[in-house]
Formats: sequence, C-alpha cells, structure tokens
Amino acid sequence: MSTRFDPLAILRTPYLFFTGKGGVGKTSTACAAAVALADSGKRVLLVSTDPASNLQDVFGMELSNHPAAIESVPNLFAANLDPEMAVEEYKAKVVAPYRGILPDSVISTMEEQLSGACTVEIAAFDEFTTLLTGEQLRSQFDHILFDTAPTGHTLRLLQLPAAWNGFLEESTHGASCLGPLAGLERKKDVYEQAVRTLSDHLETTLVLVTRPDRTPLLEAARAAQELREIGVTHQIMIVNGLLQKPESEDPISSGLYERQQTALREMPEALTNLSVFHIPLVAFNILGVASMRQLFKPTEPVSLEAALKEAPPRLPSLSALIDDVEQAGIRILFTMGKGGVGKTTVASALAVGLAERGHNVHLSTTDPAAHIETLFGTDAGLISLSRIDPKAEVDQYRQEVINQNAELLDEEGLAVLEEDLRSPCTEEIAVFRAFAELVERSQDQIVVIDTAPTGHTLLLLDASEEYHKEVARSTGLVPDSVRKLLPRLRNAKETAVVIVTLAEATPFYEASRLEEDLKRAEISVRWWTINQSLAASGTEEPVLKGRAVAEVPWIREINKRAGGQTVIIPWRPKEIRGVEQLTELAHLH
Amino acid sequence: MKSIEIYDPAMCCSTGVCGPVVDPELIRISAVVHHLKKKEFNVSRYNLTSEPDAFVVNHVIKQLLTDEGPDVLPVILLDGQLVKKQSYPSNEELEEWTGIPASELTQKPKVRIELKLKSK
Repeated sequence: MSTRFDPLAILRTPYLFFTGKGGVGKTSTACAAAVALADSGKRVLLVSTDPASNLQDVFGMELSNHPAAIESVPNLFAANLDPEMAVEEYKAKVVAPYRGILPDSVISTMEEQLSGACTVEIAAFDEFTTLLTGEQLRSQFDHILFDTAPTGHTLRLLQLPAAWNGFLEESTHGASCLGPLAGLERKKDVYEQAVRTLSDHLETTLVLVTRPDRTPLLEAARAAQELREIGVTHQIMIVNGLLQKPESEDPISSGLYERQQTALREMPEALTNLSVFHIPLVAFNILGVASMRQLFKPTEPVSLEAALKEAPPRLPSLSALIDDVEQAGIRILFTMGKGGVGKTTVASALAVGLAERGHNVHLSTTDPAAHIETLFGTDAGLISLSRIDPKAEVDQYRQEVINQNAELLDEEGLAVLEEDLRSPCTEEIAVFRAFAELVERSQDQIVVIDTAPTGHTLLLLDASEEYHKEVARSTGLVPDSVRKLLPRLRNAKETAVVIVTLAEATPFYEASRLEEDLKRAEISVRWWTINQSLAASGTEEPVLKGRAVAEVPWIREINKRAGGQTVIIPWRPKEIRGVEQLTELAHLH
Repeated sequence: MKSIEIYDPAMCCSTGVCGPVVDPELIRISAVVHHLKKKEFNVSRYNLTSEPDAFVVNHVIKQLLTDEGPDVLPVILLDGQLVKKQSYPSNEELEEWTGIPASELTQKPKVRIELKLKSK
C-alpha cells in the first residue's frame, strides 16, 4: 500500500511539474501542494501553462502571465501563461518600434502573420523557458510549481526545448519557418539551460497525477515513459481520490472500491518502479483555499445529516438527446468539454444509439489521448471509426507537399522545404485539413466527433478562423471541404454541439467559457450532458454521498445555463467498455 | 560584384508551406536563391515579419511602402535599384541580371536521392 501524500516531506526540488490526464485533479493537487508549501514558510510560485487554465476559478481571482500575490495565502504567488495573452504581448513587442515609421497598412500585415499557430507556440514557449531559466525568479522563490496542461500538450511543451535545439543545429538556410523568432539562435543558451534543468534530479521533480482507474493510469504510464525518454527522469506518482475500504453494503461504493483496487493491481509496468503516494477521496469539492488546506489533513468523518435535503432535479437521460438529434436531422455532432469528463464515452454512446436506429454513423476523435479503440474493442458494429492523429496527419501532409514539388527542386531545395515543413505551425494546418475532410463525410453519414480537450479545441477553432482569412486571400487550390467548413459548423440544422460536464465547479466553469467561445465563433450549443453523476446514482456511502450532495447545486446551475436542455448520466461502478455497455448507456431512461 | 535584394511580404516562412496551400512560386524562389548563394552570388532575402528593420533602413523600400502600402511587396532591388515590384522575378530575368544561365539556377541534380521523411 502506498503512503499518503505529504507535500512537505516529498516535494523538495525547486521546479515541480504536475502532469496527468484531464480531470484527475491535477490543478487541485498542485494548488493544494502550493498552499501547503507556502503555509510552511516557503516562498512559492504556481504557474499554469494550460491554454484552458482554471487556476483563476480555484483562487477566485484574475491572473495574468505575471506573478501575482494570492491574498489569502502569504508567500504564494500565481501566474497563468495564457498563450493568447502571450501572443498579444509578443506581437505588441515586435510591432511597437515600427508604428509611425511604417504605414499602418504594412503594420497590420505584420500583425496578421504574427497571429498564426507558429507565434502562439513560440510566444508560449518563450515565456515557459523564461520561467524555467530565470535567475531572478529562481532566487525569489523556493519552489516553482507548474500546473501543466493535459498530457499531450505537456509533452509537446516539454519536448520543445529538445526538439527545437535540434532544429537550430540542423537549420542550414537561416530564414526558416521559425521566422517569428528570428533571434532564436541568440536564445539557444536559454533553451539548453531549460533542457538541463528539466533533467536535473536536484532541480526538477515530475509529479504524475492520476486516479486509481485504468485509463488515467495508462495515460500516466505513457507520460512517464515519454518524459523519461527526453531526460525527465526524476518522477513520482500521486494517486488522487483513493476510496478507503467501505464499511457499508452500498453497491456503488463497493463497486468503486473494487474497480480502484483492480486498476491499481493491474497498473502498467512503466509505473511500478516509481514512488507512489495517494490522496484519499474526500467528501467535498476542492474550491477555494480552505478546502485545499483540508485536503492533506485526515478527513473528518462525514455525518449522514449532510444527506440530500432536496432531491436533484429530474433530468432526462441520453436517449432523449438521441431522439432529438434524430428528429432534427443533425449530420454533424460534437461532444466538447474539459478533458477527463468522459467526452469519448458520451460520443461513443451517441454513435451507438444512432447506429442502432439504422443510421450510417462515423465516429472520430481528435483527442491526442484517444481511447476509442479500447472503448469499442474490436467490434464497432455498424459504426466506422477513425482518429485524427496529429503526428500521422503531419507526416502525410509533409509527404504530399514534398511529392508535389519533387519535380521542381533538387535535393537541397527539397531539404530546405523539408526543414520548413518541420516547423510547429505545419501541424495545425495538417490537423485542420484532416478535420475538414472528416466533416465532409457528413454527406453520407452522421459524423460524431469527440473533440480534443477544451484548450486545444479552442486553438484549433481559432486557427480555423485564421485559416479562412488566408483561404480567402489565396489564389491556390483550396479543397472544397475547407471552404465549406465554418459555414457548416455554424448551421444549427446540420451541426449540433453537446457540451459534456461533471456536476462540479471547475468542469462547469470551463464548459461555460467554452460555450462563450463557441458563441463568438457563431456556433451554438444544443445540449448539455452531466456525466458520471453520483447524485443520480443513489449511493448511500458517506464519502460518496457527501460528493453527491455537493453536486446538487451544480446540477441546478448547469440546467439553468442550458435552458433546460440537459441530460444526466448516473455514475456507474463498472467501467464502460464494449458496444453492449455503450448501448446500455444510450438506452438509459 | 552585383547584388540582389528580395523584400518579401509578411510571411511565416520563406517557402510558404505554413500557408493553407503551398505556393509553387515561393518554392521556386527559395530554390533559386539557394542556387545563387551556392554560386556565391550576393543575394539576400528579407521577410517583413521577422526582419522589419531591413525595410525601414532601406530608403527605397521604406518610400515604396509609404507610397503604395504592403501590396507593393515583394520588391526586388538590383545593386540597390528597383527592378521589380509586386511579383518575384522570372528565371529569365534572373539570368539577365546575374549572367548565370537560367538552366543553372533551376538545375536538377545528376543523381536523385530518395528523400525519406523521418517521423519522430
């Protein structure tokens, strides 16, 4: 059995990276650890690098990319590396010296180019390495904690210093696609130092946060392995939300207990040699400083008086949503929401439900941490499956461009081209093209798309707008699928968005922000889905019941926001796997 | 020794592969510039996004931008004199300016090697 997580005893290095699949409680753990360290007298900086950060919700204050003091916790500072904000600052810095010297029209063409995916990546990266190598910050703080983005993004961010260093060394023709950072070579030392810091045992600890559940553990194993390969070898693991052996006969809690224990027993090999710590499942939500301070203390026994005073509102189940989608003749169906809320499961159940009613359905995921295949097993029935894998898409796009130009260029020219094709913005373009092609399929099939975690989705949608501007300007051959994409997504008769959330503060706030952003892109949300609801499960076990009670106000809030267009899925002790269980989910009443 | 300066519009990268469609014209120019450099011809290329200083320091370019706006780009200077604007030079024009036969500027390799893309 693992020991209970105690931040003061375990977190020793100045740099602490928290990583894990969305929804495992990474932010809560990082925040609570930061508060505990600060309370012990250490000076602590907490940084979020997640494009869809929720540090602001947790502390209940606005944050920027400059460290700000958290009032209620002396010694604690927090910053939020919002890539969009970083881009604005970067853009302003680049363009400012030329205002009034070059005409405004010229300035605006510069600004437009500085809005692309490349700049977003570079600006975020630049800030990240600055934090990681800043002597001043290092002397100002005892610990700098990074509440990093969900796994895929974290890896990309962490791999960047290594990858870009290689890029710089190999770069032969100078003016490459890293144009926006023309002075990159000058910063080479900074990147090298960042890489050194990441792989130094005395400087950096990687904290893998996971839940005692199969998928998050698989995810943690993958992250552990990949980070080990790039030299980040000092790793520990925290298992969050471990249920103590229940005393009651409540089937929900004994089901959960069994499921957790099995998952831990069958933990992937890549994790078995790590130091493992756990945080017990608590009966309250982590929101605000008081609850964070409670997290590492022995849990107060929950009195059953906290039982449901009011029953949660009666909400329809998934089958109502499927009825509606069918009757409305929707062709493109998206499930969106914070990572870890069960978008893939909901998307799969919707696909199964529609297929069962005789529709030709295609199910696809853009989630880098896709587990559609494990969800379905080998038999997807009438549904065709696909996955947008950024790496594969980029490879394909590169090959396509190279082939198109092979006749035009000699091998050195091709090498130059290949070099540009290795830049970060190529990935956005390649993924976007794949996305457009997928939506194109809706002419023959109902396309269900399980999108990437919130932040990534937003960047993707944002990129699509940029892309459209360029498409309008370009005289080249633009695929029809690309031209038609945005109008199609905006057409509520053709496209429906289903927001998936949990009845908890953070997923709800994030989902609300997502809805705002979609509105701005003129895309409307048709349904909200509350997934994995303990309140709807009927559990009587004290800790779980505590959480169920905490859900009720959020269920009301969500339903209000959705204007009554809400369905609810009860928490189920068994992990959902295989078509049969997905069908069951689609049939729930 | 003659010199050619190419002032590009605001671009993300010199080959344009970051755009939604690959512009063959940009790829041709990248290749030609590459060949000219190999022949030690004095050729430079500036991107408005990454090297705005070059556009401000050169009076001809700055005046053109002020008078005609960003659409004047690309602009090509031969020995500091304006020779072309709003589009890139043809291979024939380059031959005329440099004295290097167009065939050599777009020269194909004698031995073609297969380019295998590494997927990391």
